[in-house]
Amino acid sequence: MFQKMIDKSMAKSPWIFHVNAGSCNGCDIELVSVLTPRYDAERLGFRLTGTPRQADIVVVSGPITSQTRDRLVRTLAQVPEPKVVVSLGSCPRSGNVFKGSYCVDGPLEKYTHVDVSVGGCTPKPEAIVAALAKAAEILAEKRKEMRQA
Amino acid sequence: MTNLLWTMFHVLVFPGVLFCVVIGVLLAGLDRKLVARMQNRVGPPLLQPWYDFLKCCGKETIIPRHARRSLFLAAPVLGFAALITVALFVPVLSCSTYSTSADLVVILYLLTVVGVSMIVGAAASGSPFAGVGLSREMVAMISYELPFVLVILAVGRMAGATTPLGVTFSLQAIVDWQAANGSMLFHWSMIPAALAMLFVIPCEIGMHPFDIAEAETEICEGTLAEYSGPPAGLFRLTHCVKMYIMCALFCAMFLGGISTGYAALDALVVVVLSVVITFVTMSVPHAVCARFKVEQVFKFYWTVVAGLALISLILVWLGL
Amino acid sequence: MYDFMYHFPVLAIMVLFLGAFIASLVGRRNAVIRNAVVLIAMVTSLVLILSLVKPILLEGQTITYWLSNWEPVGDWAIGISLEVDALSLFFALIVVVAVFVSGVYSFFYMDRDDSLVNYYTLFSMLSGSVLGLVLSGDLFNMFVMIEIMTFTAVALTAFRNTYEGALEGAFKYLVVGSLGSTSVLIGIALIYSQMHTLNLAQLAAMLPGYDSPVTIIAFAFLFVGFGSKAFLFPFHPLAADAHAVAPASISLMISGVLTKCGVYGIIRLAYTVYQNVDVNVMNALKSVCNPMNANFVQYFITGVGVVTMFICVTMAFNQHNFKRLLAFHSISQVGYVITVIGLGSALGLSAGLFHAMNHTIFKGLLFLTAGAVQHATGSLDLDELGGLSKKMPGTCALFLIGAASISGLPPFNGFASKWMIYQAAFQKAGETGNFFFVVVCVAALITSVLTLASFIKVAQSVFFGQLNPKFAKTREVSLGMRIPMWILAILCVVTGLFPDKVQQWLLAPATSAAMNAAGYIDAAMGQGYAASFSIPSFQPQSIFLSGAWQPVMWLLLLVSVTLAVCIVALLGSDDKAPAISETNTDTPADPKYESFFSGEASVYSQVGGSDLFWGFKHNWRHYFSFMHNWHSGVVNDYTLYGAAAIAVALVLCVIFL
Repeated sequence: MFQKMIDKSMAKSPWIFHVNAGSCNGCDIELVSVLTPRYDAERLGFRLTGTPRQADIVVVSGPITSQTRDRLVRTLAQVPEPKVVVSLGSCPRSGNVFKGSYCVDGPLEKYTHVDVSVGGCTPKPEAIVAALAKAAEILAEKRKEMRQA
Repeated sequence: MTNLLWTMFHVLVFPGVLFCVVIGVLLAGLDRKLVARMQNRVGPPLLQPWYDFLKCCGKETIIPRHARRSLFLAAPVLGFAALITVALFVPVLSCSTYSTSADLVVILYLLTVVGVSMIVGAAASGSPFAGVGLSREMVAMISYELPFVLVILAVGRMAGATTPLGVTFSLQAIVDWQAANGSMLFHWSMIPAALAMLFVIPCEIGMHPFDIAEAETEICEGTLAEYSGPPAGLFRLTHCVKMYIMCALFCAMFLGGISTGYAALDALVVVVLSVVITFVTMSVPHAVCARFKVEQVFKFYWTVVAGLALISLILVWLGL
Repeated sequence: MYDFMYHFPVLAIMVLFLGAFIASLVGRRNAVIRNAVVLIAMVTSLVLILSLVKPILLEGQTITYWLSNWEPVGDWAIGISLEVDALSLFFALIVVVAVFVSGVYSFFYMDRDDSLVNYYTLFSMLSGSVLGLVLSGDLFNMFVMIEIMTFTAVALTAFRNTYEGALEGAFKYLVVGSLGSTSVLIGIALIYSQMHTLNLAQLAAMLPGYDSPVTIIAFAFLFVGFGSKAFLFPFHPLAADAHAVAPASISLMISGVLTKCGVYGIIRLAYTVYQNVDVNVMNALKSVCNPMNANFVQYFITGVGVVTMFICVTMAFNQHNFKRLLAFHSISQVGYVITVIGLGSALGLSAGLFHAMNHTIFKGLLFLTAGAVQHATGSLDLDELGGLSKKMPGTCALFLIGAASISGLPPFNGFASKWMIYQAAFQKAGETGNFFFVVVCVAALITSVLTLASFIKVAQSVFFGQLNPKFAKTREVSLGMRIPMWILAILCVVTGLFPDKVQQWLLAPATSAAMNAAGYIDAAMGQGYAASFSIPSFQPQSIFLSGAWQPVMWLLLLVSVTLAVCIVALLGSDDKAPAISETNTDTPADPKYESFFSGEASVYSQVGGSDLFWGFKHNWRHYFSFMHNWHSGVVNDYTLYGAAAIAVALVLCVIFL
């Protein structure tokens, strides 16, 4: 009865959980800047949440160091369905300048299905907002797929 | 039969579930919009809390391994239902439904039940973060309880001074007294108490400078750390409804005199007043202040706010 | 009332003492016979007392029973008497129900202890003595019963003498308890030297017109003596030491029944014998026939109550032991009772009696759940336990009912009586215009929220959070232990939902009886005796409430809203959409169901224990460190506090009365 309403709301209120998997903090700062008055992602309903249990979009930054690998996998498992994974910056995609290091276990694709990937070191805030908006659309579609499955 | 229908109308539509939820969601949305505007942002749409709630309903509910299933799922429902019953007991200016069957002390305790259901839910989730959160929630509760009690006693004495018992706890009697003698807020000795009550409101709701229990950056949403899906959504909705109920309670306690005589119009007046109170007590501090520390909240409420309420109580007691 | 019913009170007492005697004779070899004897004794006294409810509480009669038929001769009541009015029967009801529940619980709870014949002998004696105390019609028999009560309670406290601190706790209780008993005895001696009688009814007739400093000093001694039996400030540390080590069933008796004896003594003393608590109808006559300054007595009793209730609730914040914490709360709740009793209004007394009754119910329940936890895990340490709700769901539910009751959450009984307490205190303030009573009201409300905080701490530390691997094999306790707890839990709900019926059937008759000194005198000494001493006859007062609370109505509203939410949730649910998912096994295989801990692997991490509310305690650290030093745990100090209490009470009474 309310399923249509829920479907519509899905894309309007994506909550973000941010995992730093060994990032240099550049992408993390840019992600925060997305929520500042200049870019104001909150007008699209985005909100940073503190726990993976309430997250819809998991944003991963950093090259997945061996220290963070297990923690990342656990955290991703704790996000309820439907969920979308966004890789932020070049590091989770390719390892970037850290590629080949003994302590890097990337890329992110090895551990989870990545729905949206933003390149750049660091990506521009505009690109991040666009990626998040795309992720929100994917979220709504995943929800529909789950219902039709 | 008509009686039963009326009861159902009261419980489900006005001033019960539907009215509370609609106004609560609008107030919460308005608060977010106002904060955004004060920070020079566009802000989310007005119905954003409603979208948030619906989105939560579409998500999976995970019950953690350490959680006690039944309490984990029952706590949000119980808290929400207890809160709605408070709405039935608070008179909306001239139109009151069940306000003669429960008094201010009962309302104080029903609001406590809402807080406790959140605490029990958090405890039942078995998360260490929730443990820290419930500890903070309880400290916040102890903090605002003293000024709240002092305000209740001051208002009760003011309205009851002319009755044979000398005091009253009945919210209906307080509203009636104001209808006869003008609003509490316009009696100068009650102004400190009104100020204290305005301070109590954000802490009772857990709004930003006082949201120590749900500090998302420090303790991962605290009490809500393990909640996902519809129960989490219901807790968020309870939060929104609480905003409206605290505003309505303030209106009944301090602005009861202004009544148009028409129930529908009165409800509208209360909604408008709620918007003003929301702006003053929640949006502005949210935009201006950083989050308090736990012990600072306690100190602030037991000294400054309780002091304000005590001034009023003493003034009222001296017959001023 | 049938004639044979006059024998019921004395039979109810005797059957318990007889049970003690027979149990010790036959029970040494055969446990079944021993348990049967004790059970029969308990049930018999329960039935006998219950059968008196109709004539005494509902019809308002009074039973006066002269042992060996030694009736008063020439207006001098020398014989031993039992006088059962509604007040006595109200307390007797509390006693027999608590004894029954505690006894049944003991059969299952004490299964791992030996030399149980001693336990049951002492238990029956304790039960008989408290019943004898509340039904007694003369002061000296009250003293005798107090002595039996104290010594059996001391012996039972030390029953598990292998426990650390058991002998120490019992020793403290013995020494300081004796101080209280001595104080009662001195008071009685003083009264006897002046009045030449110890019959309560005759004293009640003669004392108000007898203007002598000796009887006033006797009042101070008796008040402190009875206060020590209720563990009022500064006797409260004893209770903590005794409760922490006593078996849970005995903790129930000490907190639910023994403290009530002190409360009963104070009510009898202040309302019936000295009639010095302000009763509205007596205001006009007070200057004529009341030698005691009623206002001072009000301030004194209320003040002691407020101090007790506040200090004990803050002391509970520091406790590491489940039962020690409960002990402090127990005294804090008795503080509530004493506070409102001191107000001297009909509403205040009703509220006090109601809370006394509720306290026995919910605190009994809490002590029994603590006993269940101890029985199942062998530990009472708040810093060590945790997560037991998964292993003991029934006990957890019972604990939550008890905790909600004592914290005064609607719709349980604690709220109903606390609500009356706030009304009574605030009305008193409104009537007299005295700010002192506003402070009393605020203190009562704040104590209530602190109580709540304390029980949230226990719930989180014992039942919620994560299970200590040490207690992984814990099992739920047996049904025999849970049934007595369920009886109390159901009483919690029923008395909370129907406070008006409780008021009508139990509280109103008991309150009238306490205030009706003339009726009490006439029942024992013959019609017209009170009038000859110009004791004013009693006019029943109606109680006005300055608020409203309709629990059934609220519950109906709550249920209908809950139903509405559930129906909407059911209508909105969709089979294919994501639903509730949970793990079936306890194996930590799937990280999805682990607690979120910033991605770390699941380890045992329990947030709880004694220091849960540091944000509150930090601001009060000076107060807490002072209290910590003050509660030294040295028996010499506690005796000194007791002696100081007697001295202060004496000085105050001599100055102000």
